[in-house]
Amino acid sequence: MGHLQEDKLHELLHHPAVQGGLVPFVVALITAELLQRLRLSDLAVVAAFAATAYLVSGLPFDTLTASHRLLWLGLLSPLVAISLGLLNAAWVRPLLAAAGGAAAIWMAEHILQHQVPAAVFLWSAGIALYVGWLVFWMDELQYSPVRAASAGLALGLGTGLSALFGASALLGMYGLSLGAAAGAYLLIQMLTNNRLPCGHSFTLPLALIAGLIGCLAVLTARLPWYALIALAAIPPVARIPVSEKSVLWLQSILLSAATLFCAAVAVYLTWRVAGMPPL
Amino acid sequence: MLKRNALAFLLAASLPLAAHAGDSYTADPAHTYAHFTLSHFGFSTMHGRFDKTSGKVTLDHAAKNGSVDIAIESASVSTGFAKRDEHLKSPDFFNAAEFPSITYKSSSIKFKGDTPVSVEGNLALLGVTKPVTLTITEFKCGDNPMSKKPECGAAATAQIKRSDFGMKSFLPGVGDDIKLEFEIEAYKD
Repeated sequence: MGHLQEDKLHELLHHPAVQGGLVPFVVALITAELLQRLRLSDLAVVAAFAATAYLVSGLPFDTLTASHRLLWLGLLSPLVAISLGLLNAAWVRPLLAAAGGAAAIWMAEHILQHQVPAAVFLWSAGIALYVGWLVFWMDELQYSPVRAASAGLALGLGTGLSALFGASALLGMYGLSLGAAAGAYLLIQMLTNNRLPCGHSFTLPLALIAGLIGCLAVLTARLPWYALIALAAIPPVARIPVSEKSVLWLQSILLSAATLFCAAVAVYLTWRVAGMPPL
Repeated sequence: MLKRNALAFLLAASLPLAAHAGDSYTADPAHTYAHFTLSHFGFSTMHGRFDKTSGKVTLDHAAKNGSVDIAIESASVSTGFAKRDEHLKSPDFFNAAEFPSITYKSSSIKFKGDTPVSVEGNLALLGVTKPVTLTITEFKCGDNPMSKKPECGAAATAQIKRSDFGMKSFLPGVGDDIKLEFEIEAYKD
């Protein structure tokens, strides 16, 4: 009986919907709620991503493949966010964006080595611009937790589903875990009508991981590069005028609807190229 | 005179070394393939192959030794279903964009009589190199009746666990145990 239950639990924890959806959602809910008093609820995203990464990849140290680099960059990014957040200087945002761009090139290093020089230049510039853009614009949203969470929800779901349609379940689950985490963070705010603490530790991991997933899915799977344009529009769209005085659930719905539209465009563009994900 | 004798001795001594280097063969891409099979959720056994494989083989029958050096193009994976092939090329499985080659380099070949029976070597897959033994199930050398060129052919099998190479997606549903089968024909250089 004990073995049967163990097998069932093992099977459950290996289900992609549990790994990429349920577990990160629950982990983010618990983290955001527990760390609220310490004003560290924004660590919910990285906690949820770590849980998914552990279940999917087992947090590998051995070979530094592009997906392993993505993982470690994402997991270590809150340390940078917390350190730079203490400075609260005007140059922090451009610096984070530049570091995000450099991180994208470092992640893709082995893949770019197999390309011709012109392609290396184009891809390097493209992925650095994409990740830098996301980091910059997401960072702008840190002063509005509802906007940041709505953008995070759309960016995570859009990136995850696009990667999934683009034929990578691994990257898909990583992306969906971000969406699930941001969704949990948003849900708490909708239900309590209270804004959760938000800062670089929320926006940086979200933008960086989602950006790196998008780049890797373009380089190694079948995500069309122009789908990234729709995903890149998400953080600026999350700044549309919505009254900050209205109840949070209404703000959340309006902002999520606008940003999820961009995510849907990215998923649709990928589906047109790649079709349904293989089962 | 002494110098001339020494030179003659060195030349004579080098002859057996050259002979021990063995005969060199280049794989015929039209008759050299790497196949794999694995369980699909226990319901069926999936068969796939790589369409592009190249390699060099040396055989020294006298010294009962040789070498095998094989390179498989990851992106040439083929299972008869294009959508699945795209998935197999992605980071979930063979990660062809980052690791375009799968290589096997032998360290020794074991003979039984005049026939090679197994190859000890290292398989490099997804940036991880592990020792893998190939068991040779068929082996023949002779002149190809069509091209009239001397060649050798062999079939070999090996068993690996994909998780050992960091390929962990969809475990345990999509099987961890992979049976590799190699068919090779190589023309003498």
